[in-house]
Amino acid sequence: MARVIAGDLPVRFRYTPGVGATAFFEALRDRGVLLGSRCTSCEMTYLPARLFCERCFAELGADTECGPGGTLESFTVAHQGIDAEPLPEPITWATVKLDGADTVMVHRLLDTTAPEIGMRVRAVVRERRTASIADLEGFASE
Amino acid sequence: MAKRVAVIGAGMTRFVRRAQETGKELSWIAASAALQNAGIGLDRIDAVCMGTAPDAFDGVHRKGDYLADGSGAFGKPYIRTYVGGGTGVFVPIQGYYTIASGMADVVLVVAEEKMSSCQPHPQGAFLTIFDNIIERPLGPNLLWIFALEMRRYMEAYGLDKRDIAAVAVKNKRNAAGHPSALLGQADITIEDVLNSEVLADPVQRLDVSPISDGAVALVLASEDVASSLTDAPVWIQGVGWNLDTTYWTNRDLAYPQYVENAARMAYDMAGVTEPRKQIHVAEPYDPFDYKELHHLEGLLLFDKGKAPEAAAAGVTQRDGDLPCCPSGGLLGVGNPIAAAGLMKVAELFWQLRGEAGARQVPGTPERGVAQAWGDLMQVGTVVVMGTEGGPATTATRESQPPPSPRATPLSDTQFREAPGAVDDVLDATYRWDAGEAMGAFLEGMSEGRIMATVCERCARTLVPPRMFCERCFRPTDRWTQVPDTGSVQTFSICHVRWDMVPLDPPEIPAVIRLDDTSEGGFLHKLGEVAPGDVRIGMEVEAVWKDASERQGSILDIAYFRPRGGGS
Amino acid sequence: MPQAFRGITLRMEPRVGIVGAGWSGFAPTSEGISYKELMFEAASAAYADAGLDPRTQIDSFVCSSEDFEEGTSIFDEYVPDQLGAVQRPVQTVASDGLFALATGVMLIRSGLARRVTVESHSKASEVVSHGRVERMALDPVLNRPLGMPAAAVAGLEMRRFLHVSGWSQGDCAAVATRNRDHARDNPRASYADLVDGSPTFEPLTADQTAESADGCVVLVLAAEEVAGDGAVWVDGIGWSQDAPSLESRDWDRAAAAMRAAEAAYARASLAPSAVDLAEVDDTFAFKQLQHLDALGLQALDPARVNRSGGALGEGYLHEANGLARALAAVEHLRRGDGATAVVQSWRGVPSSSAAVAVLRTGAA
Repeated sequence: MARVIAGDLPVRFRYTPGVGATAFFEALRDRGVLLGSRCTSCEMTYLPARLFCERCFAELGADTECGPGGTLESFTVAHQGIDAEPLPEPITWATVKLDGADTVMVHRLLDTTAPEIGMRVRAVVRERRTASIADLEGFASE
Repeated sequence: MAKRVAVIGAGMTRFVRRAQETGKELSWIAASAALQNAGIGLDRIDAVCMGTAPDAFDGVHRKGDYLADGSGAFGKPYIRTYVGGGTGVFVPIQGYYTIASGMADVVLVVAEEKMSSCQPHPQGAFLTIFDNIIERPLGPNLLWIFALEMRRYMEAYGLDKRDIAAVAVKNKRNAAGHPSALLGQADITIEDVLNSEVLADPVQRLDVSPISDGAVALVLASEDVASSLTDAPVWIQGVGWNLDTTYWTNRDLAYPQYVENAARMAYDMAGVTEPRKQIHVAEPYDPFDYKELHHLEGLLLFDKGKAPEAAAAGVTQRDGDLPCCPSGGLLGVGNPIAAAGLMKVAELFWQLRGEAGARQVPGTPERGVAQAWGDLMQVGTVVVMGTEGGPATTATRESQPPPSPRATPLSDTQFREAPGAVDDVLDATYRWDAGEAMGAFLEGMSEGRIMATVCERCARTLVPPRMFCERCFRPTDRWTQVPDTGSVQTFSICHVRWDMVPLDPPEIPAVIRLDDTSEGGFLHKLGEVAPGDVRIGMEVEAVWKDASERQGSILDIAYFRPRGGGS
Repeated sequence: MPQAFRGITLRMEPRVGIVGAGWSGFAPTSEGISYKELMFEAASAAYADAGLDPRTQIDSFVCSSEDFEEGTSIFDEYVPDQLGAVQRPVQTVASDGLFALATGVMLIRSGLARRVTVESHSKASEVVSHGRVERMALDPVLNRPLGMPAAAVAGLEMRRFLHVSGWSQGDCAAVATRNRDHARDNPRASYADLVDGSPTFEPLTADQTAESADGCVVLVLAAEEVAGDGAVWVDGIGWSQDAPSLESRDWDRAAAAMRAAEAAYARASLAPSAVDLAEVDDTFAFKQLQHLDALGLQALDPARVNRSGGALGEGYLHEANGLARALAAVEHLRRGDGATAVVQSWRGVPSSSAAVAVLRTGAA
């Protein structure tokens, strides 16, 4: 008979956002804006802000406001949660390219009636903010 | 013939207790500094080699993937290799064969560790490195294994703790001149070490290197292109690595045979036949002070048991006959695991180029060795580097000195109140199958019997049992019951829990060698004995839990006590 | 032979061959067998196949694993004994097994070894919830707080892929049907029967998602001078990393697989049109199509792709998936079912790397 040992990896973590994302979160919390980083040599704007360009290694500042409008790049209707458990209500996740950014952000799509790739959406910023990715409620059609 | 490979640049962050930067950002700081030192841009890099220790430090699954952008791997060949604590000295070996195999001409080698993410104490990650079935239930603390090994080493050669403490003093003093150092201390004394808090006897607080955040990077180039990039290459002359059996409780911990094996591989390749004459500077791995000595012996630089008296006599000082850890080592610069190992290779590069500044060893060293160690006292990694026929004195054509090392320390308050910080837990659970061998062993435990397997070919009786003989590589032949008596191979008196909370009374972990086995035994605890009465070689017997309480677990033995009853 | 690729001098000497292959498991569970015993069984089979004694004839050992999938930190501690690797050079790559194969090739070509063992395994049945492990691979600050399963990335990728590529939902469904059909002749396949087609992460469905399986694959590599005539040669190998973050990666194509294939083809001096068969990653049905696009194998007869049944048929062996594909290709080539095979792997969500190998039989 197989003997099975139940176990875990009982490790906890506290992650601080680092130099780049701290600027992003502070701007989101304090001003409700989405701050990105422009790499002039790669002609590319990263959102959220970053300390460095992953393509050329230039040091970047948090210097470029993006959005709140944007374009829906993709979406998926999730019927499962993290444990593959069925969800009571499906959740729609989306990738959105915010205006001025060359990268996407992943978040919820809030109004799910017949989304289409390429449609215009906007970032919905919460009234009460704590410096978190959850300060965005998600994306809604424009 | 494989291509020759040179180091042409090195860079590192500051080592800090808790960095504001993410692991990606630390990697980028170190990699950028190395590129600047080599005088080239990221566009010259053909491939990236990453080394970083357990995901349980940074708290990111597939940490290598996560760190890829910070280490310059976008759109490039990228592999993360892993040999536990030996990783930092292994990753330049990965760089070596990536180039020597013809897969790339210029390679970025990066090692990173961000241990401060791990809460409440990075030692928590080490709870998860032990055997999931027969060790983790005992609640092992990382200090245990160092204390068990240190005591065995001291006992085997009759060593004086004072001689060992000289290493901590030397390295923390050496680090006082290092711009990246976390714990350099110019005025530390042997008394400070000997009077520091006893954590897990014989290990005291100042015997131990501090956990840290940090990253280090090197640029490696093939001989074809090195000459166009630098006038002062430092050649990788030899590489070696070696992994011993997982069954660490079956080994004599007094000597790191695996380090010797790795060193012999590297020396053979480098043409080093008399290491004591041909090695001019050494960076042995020093997470604990005794480890530097243990490793110097494994590196064949001192006779077995003779490194401590040499250290006490000043031979390994920066101005001694064989300077060891002129960087300040892990004890002084800090110990962000993989990054600390690679720091040793970076130090050799700077020393051999004569660019080590205040840390420069006297004379003109032409060859050095760096070494790291890891896993369950099990792996050795060794790199031999040299300038090959004369000092390299000129700076690189485009190169700049390494920039002042960056990394922003966060105070406790800043860490607690950091905007955007996220608390999370790894809430995965597992159902490990004990398998045939351990399944039968646990069945035996529930019946009050210790079961072993036997390999008839090499005539060994194996505990913990396995269905294969690792020496002969063949299935084992039969089961046998072994006595529940044995002798103490080594032990520690441990005064702290894994998270450094004091324990009173202390607990006494020990490696028990069971009677009638071949090197067989396991980790357990001693009871019914005063801490001061425990001795290596003491005969002990298992104290079983009542049959009704046994569950088929290593804990079915409550503890071992002196044979014939406790004191 | 090409002399240069993106400025890199290409060196093909010595040629590296696969001279032994062994496997164990390949089932939804492996009850009563520990991972060590699973590895010992596969390694014993590989060494018997190669006719080699690991204790004296293998110079170096390369494993692939990830700690959180094993439930043990510094898992490389636990590998040497059951591979015959005690007190030998052993390393672990934290990646898919095809990256371990690439490492083995480099060890031989650099002269550090003449024979190398490459191992990769899955004990996926021991992980209670893979979603909780995969979640930890998302950015801890930017992504994880959303509570999105990592598997949702596959749904996002699939929708985008269908939008930009011209492939259809029906094409993806056909891949799932065909691979499971291929699996019927494969003794390693556990999932030849289609599961339900209910949506998981739309447009993805359950039957287009490979189910986890346990198993171990061990390959033995050798330099040409000691390999013998029957070897399956690793004539090309390439691997690459795209941006790891969800924000800046290429969502329109398998960018890493394209770059890896470019390098592997250049090293093998091979045009995609000369490929006889392919074993590519099909962790999700659409991935097979996306990967064939990346490898320039759109025109390859579908009957020549994943003849093993792929991961959809055999089961998803996590980090061992690449070696499972390589093992299938080795078997096809040994049977004379073609002379040139391409093998490709991807590490599953949310990863963005890939490795590609070109395998050949016969003289150079």
